[in-house]
Amino acid sequence: MSLISSLMTQDHRDCDHEFALAESLVARRDWDAAAKAVNAFAAALETHFRAEEEQLFPRFEAVTGMTHGPTEVMRGEHADMRSIVASLKDALARRDADDFAGEAETLLIMMQQHNMKEENMLYPMCDARLATERDALTEALGQRISRKMPA
Amino acid sequence: MSSANPGLSYEDAPPFSVPLRYFLTAPLFGIAAGALLLIDGSALGSRWSPAALGAVHLVATGSMLQVMLGALMQILPVVAGASLLTPLRTARLTHPLLAGGSVGLSWGLWQGQPGATLAGAALLAAGLAIFLLAAALAFRRAPSARGRSDTPRDLRLALIGLLVTAALGVILATTLARGLSLPIDLPALVNLHAGWAWMGWGAMLVAATSWVIVPMFQITPAYPQRLTRVWAPSVLILLALWSIAAIASLHGTGIALAGLLCALAIGFGATTLRLQARSRRSTPDASFLAFRLAMTSIIAGSVAILGSLVTEADALSLLAGILILHGGFVGVISAMLYKIVPFLAWLHLTQAGIKAPNVKKLSPDLPVRRQLITHAAALALLLGAVFLPLLSYAAGAAVMLEFGWLLGNLARIVLAWQRAGGRWNPAAAAEGEKYV
Repeated sequence: MSLISSLMTQDHRDCDHEFALAESLVARRDWDAAAKAVNAFAAALETHFRAEEEQLFPRFEAVTGMTHGPTEVMRGEHADMRSIVASLKDALARRDADDFAGEAETLLIMMQQHNMKEENMLYPMCDARLATERDALTEALGQRISRKMPA
Repeated sequence: MSSANPGLSYEDAPPFSVPLRYFLTAPLFGIAAGALLLIDGSALGSRWSPAALGAVHLVATGSMLQVMLGALMQILPVVAGASLLTPLRTARLTHPLLAGGSVGLSWGLWQGQPGATLAGAALLAAGLAIFLLAAALAFRRAPSARGRSDTPRDLRLALIGLLVTAALGVILATTLARGLSLPIDLPALVNLHAGWAWMGWGAMLVAATSWVIVPMFQITPAYPQRLTRVWAPSVLILLALWSIAAIASLHGTGIALAGLLCALAIGFGATTLRLQARSRRSTPDASFLAFRLAMTSIIAGSVAILGSLVTEADALSLLAGILILHGGFVGVISAMLYKIVPFLAWLHLTQAGIKAPNVKKLSPDLPVRRQLITHAAALALLLGAVFLPLLSYAAGAAVMLEFGWLLGNLARIVLAWQRAGGRWNPAAAAEGEKYV
C-alpha cells in the first residue's frame, strides 16, 4: 500500500537537502557551484508544486467538492514561495551573500510552516478521501517528482 | 474559507497584536526577576528563600508562560489544525490576567504576603482556565485526519500537564493563605508542583514542538519514532505514579520514579544535540547555538536533580533550577522568539500585499548574537553565584541586561515592521471586527 503522504513528505525532505546545499555553497562564496545548486533546488521545488497543483489538488477538489478549501490556501502559499525564490535568484545574480542568506532564511520558515500544514493535515486528508485511487495517484506523482523537472 | 479548512489558512492566523502582546510582556518580567536578584542577595542562597520563590515565578509565570501561550496560539493551527475560535478575545482576557496574576503571586511569595500570593494564583488560574478552554474547543474543531507526527497528541498532553501544574499551584497558594490541611507535607507538594511544571508542561511542550521544529527548520534527520511515540506518554505516566508515591509516602519508589523522569529529560536533550550535530545547514546562527546551549543545560540540570535526589544538597537543587529555568527554557524561548517574531512580521506584511523586507533585514544577526552571548554570560554568573554569593548582584544585573536587550531586539523588529507599512489589525479595519 502506497501513501500519498509518505511520498510527498519524502519529497519535501529531498527539497530541503537541495536547499541546504545551495545555502552552504553561497555561504562559502562558491558562486558557480551555488548557481547550479540554487537552480537544482528551484527546479525540485517547482516540480513538487506543479505535481500538487496539476495532479494532486485537482483530484482532491473533485472528490471533496472543496475548490475554495485547503488547496486554494496551499496554491496561495506556493505563489508566495515562488516570489521568494525569485528574490533568492536575484541575490545570487548580484552575488550578495548577505541578502541571499536573509531571503533563504525567510523561504525556509515559509516553506516549513507550509510543509507542516500539508504533512499534518492535507496529505492525511488526501490519503483518506482519495482512498480508491490512491495507489495509482501515488505512482503518477512519484514518476513526476522523480524527474525533478517541471513538466 | 476558514470553516472549510480550519487551521490551514493564513486568515485563521490571529492578528500580529495577539501573540505580540505576550512576547513583549515576557521580557519585562525577566527584567523584574533580574532586579529582584539585584535588590535581594538572598535569592540564590536557598531554593526555599522568599526571594528565590519570587524570582522563579517572575520568570516561570511572568515570562515563560506568556511566551509559551502566545507561541501556542500560532503553532496550534499549523501543526494540529486547531485554531482558537476567538484569538483576539482570548488574548484580551488571558493576557492581563496572566500578567496581573504573575505580579501578585511573585510579590506575595517574595514579601511573605499570603493574601497577595492567593490573589495572584487566582488571577493566573482564571487566565489559564480561559486559555485551556479555548484550546480544548480548538482541538475539538480540528480536522480528524492525522499525520504521522506525534506533535498534536503531545501538545494536548502538555496542556494536561499545565492544568495539573496550575491546580497544584492553587492548592499551594490556598494552603499558605488559608491553612488547608493536606494529606502531604508542604515541601513534598512544592516538589510535585515543580515537577509537573518542569516535565509535565515545560519539557513536554518543548519536546512536542521540537519533534517538528528541529528536523524541519534545522534540516536534521527526524527524531527516532520509537522515541517520539513513547516519550510524552511515559512522562505523563511517570509523573502520575511519582505523585501517587509522594502522597503514599513511598520515599524510595518516589526517588526511583523521579530518576526515570530525569533520564527521559536527558534522553530528549541528548537526542536533540545528536540530531543537531547532523544538521545540513552549514552556517549555524546564534539562535541555533542558543538552542544547543539550552539542550546542554537541560541535560546538566537533570543530572543535578539526580544528584539532589540522593544527597539532599540544597546547592544541587539551586543549580538544577538555574540550569533548567534560565539555561534551558529562557534559552529555548529566546532562540524561538528570534525565529517567530521576524517571520510573523514578514508574513503579516506579505498578507497585506506589501513587499516585505526579508527576516534578516527585519531582525539583523549582530544584535541577536550579542544578546544571546549576554544570556550565556548571565547563566554563568547565576551558576557562579550559588557558590560565591557576592556574584548574585552581578548575576541580577546580567539578567536585567539580557531581558532588556531581548525587549529592545523585539521592539526593533516591530518598528521595522511598522516602517515597512505594517498596521495593527488591518483585517478588522477593513472588514469590521472579524477577530473578536
